[in-house]
Amino acid sequence: MTISRKCVPFTPFERELSKTTIAIVTAGGVHLKDQEPFNIADELGDLTYREIPPDVDSSQLMVTHHHYDHSDADEDINVVFPIDVLRDLESEGFIGGIAKKHIGYMGYTMQLKAMYEGTAREIANEIDKGSRADAVVLTGG
Amino acid sequence: MKGIPTVLITVSPEVSAQMRPPRALYPKGFKIGNSLGRPGMRDLQKKVLREALELLSQNTRPGEVVTIEYPEYGEQYEPPRVKKLG
Repeated sequence: MTISRKCVPFTPFERELSKTTIAIVTAGGVHLKDQEPFNIADELGDLTYREIPPDVDSSQLMVTHHHYDHSDADEDINVVFPIDVLRDLESEGFIGGIAKKHIGYMGYTMQLKAMYEGTAREIANEIDKGSRADAVVLTGG
Repeated sequence: MKGIPTVLITVSPEVSAQMRPPRALYPKGFKIGNSLGRPGMRDLQKKVLREALELLSQNTRPGEVVTIEYPEYGEQYEPPRVKKLG
């Protein structure tokens, strides 16, 4: 694998953080306990994603991902999906708000092109449509 | 769609750098599965998230990963390396 030769898709940030609404997008396999788990049986990976609401109780989140040790995330989901941390930063006035949608997907895949050209765009559209996010924090496992 | 600013928190800086993320933070020595720190370390988690968000408005070089040390994390881990082919 070589370094991507594509242009860096840099979007300038011209707001104050205290007036910025933030969304989280994680490749760490995070989803609600009552959502369908990611398919870890398929060796090609799972190209789907799950929408996580802003008012989620973090104890209702879990991880389905077989390519990293998520025992710490099982104990405290904030180590990969910092939703409670974001709430703290909002109450302190450090950020302006929490987006209406957050996204979890399972970053492991053998279908890189489909992930890059399909799933990634779908996730970007989800965030663009109705999340009201001004910026996104991305995390892996 | 006009694009949306992003910042990545990565514990695999070499692997992430290959994709040339617009802005990225590597909390040095954090292991995979601990992007924000260890369970229950809320003050550290807040510090990491705050400093990641601050990268949005700092004059970073797109495509590079910024390394920040957090001694309060404790034991440090080696990040995965990119396998060189040939």
